[in-house]
Amino acid sequence: TAGNTIFHFGPCRISMSMTEVRAGFTAIKANIQARDPIRTLSILSHPHSLHKVKSSDRCCIAHHLFNFYVDKVFKHCKTEDSYVNRKISSIANSFLSMKRKLGQCHEQNKCMCGQESAEKFKQILANYKGLNVTSAAIKSLGELDILLDWME
Amino acid sequence: DALLPAPQNISIVSINMKHFLTWSPVIVQGETVRYSVEFQGEYEREYANESWIPICECSLITATVCNITEDISATVAYNLRVRADGGARRSEWGTLKGFFNRITTSLTPPLMKVIADGYHLLVELEDMGPAFQFCVLYWKKGQENRMQQKVVKEVSSVVHLDTMEAGPDYCVKAQTYVEAINRSSSFSQTQCVRAQGSRSVWLV
Repeated sequence: TAGNTIFHFGPCRISMSMTEVRAGFTAIKANIQARDPIRTLSILSHPHSLHKVKSSDRCCIAHHLFNFYVDKVFKHCKTEDSYVNRKISSIANSFLSMKRKLGQCHEQNKCMCGQESAEKFKQILANYKGLNVTSAAIKSLGELDILLDWME
Repeated sequence: DALLPAPQNISIVSINMKHFLTWSPVIVQGETVRYSVEFQGEYEREYANESWIPICECSLITATVCNITEDISATVAYNLRVRADGGARRSEWGTLKGFFNRITTSLTPPLMKVIADGYHLLVELEDMGPAFQFCVLYWKKGQENRMQQKVVKEVSSVVHLDTMEAGPDYCVKAQTYVEAINRSSSFSQTQCVRAQGSRSVWLV
């Protein structure tokens, strides 16, 4: 479509400029992934892919992941490359916008967190804490397309 | 050395999701003054220690305008600032008064060309970029209460609207819609055509 996509996370519907986020990520993906030497580990996909999350838990997982990227990941991804930094800013501000929209729905108790999503997100945090902050943040950013694919 | 005066009259010109920062020149006799621009999104203010990000295409430029479209790529409030350099001297940052959110961009009606190709009612729409969709309304003149609508999500060369009957005039108008900010432009001028064999006949 022309830019925006309506995402249905359980009862929550949020509109997101997916084209802009994907374009921003595609522009820096190779650069970011080249900074991540640890090929054997994944933050989002270990041990199970996001695609295994039940649809009833989608909303909660999405809510957690937006917060995760905004609160923990982007700020530790600053590079010496001004172009990369601009694209990270573009993605971060889009995620902030989405985090707010999903947060509003979450506050209206329409985004329930089940056992599975709690377990899944705990695993993601454990994977993240298993590395030093910068490596974990760069790896998480490099895996952004995993999240975007799952959302779509 | 005394500081250069900071750039003044910093403002945004934003039309159809194209955003430009402009400012008044800093005049220094006998010297070329250059300017540098930085931006700060809501994310940077709230989560990244209020950091600023330079726009390299607008670093040490002599022009007093900077295209910031590519960096204003989220529907959040942005801060912008400009600094002047002249010789060995530099100014303080001049900052845009208030924030800029692309939701305030002004949307103009789309350029449109209506074509009667034989009995086919066609419309040619201006390509305004990936953020734009179009809502096209068309009707038989005199039957405004039976308007039909076509949403065009991606501009291809020509859009087929309808197959016309011989005789009546067919009228068309269009507006843009930008989903990222959930806003529409006003409608374009109405254009009417009539099917007549294979010749296009314009009736405005």
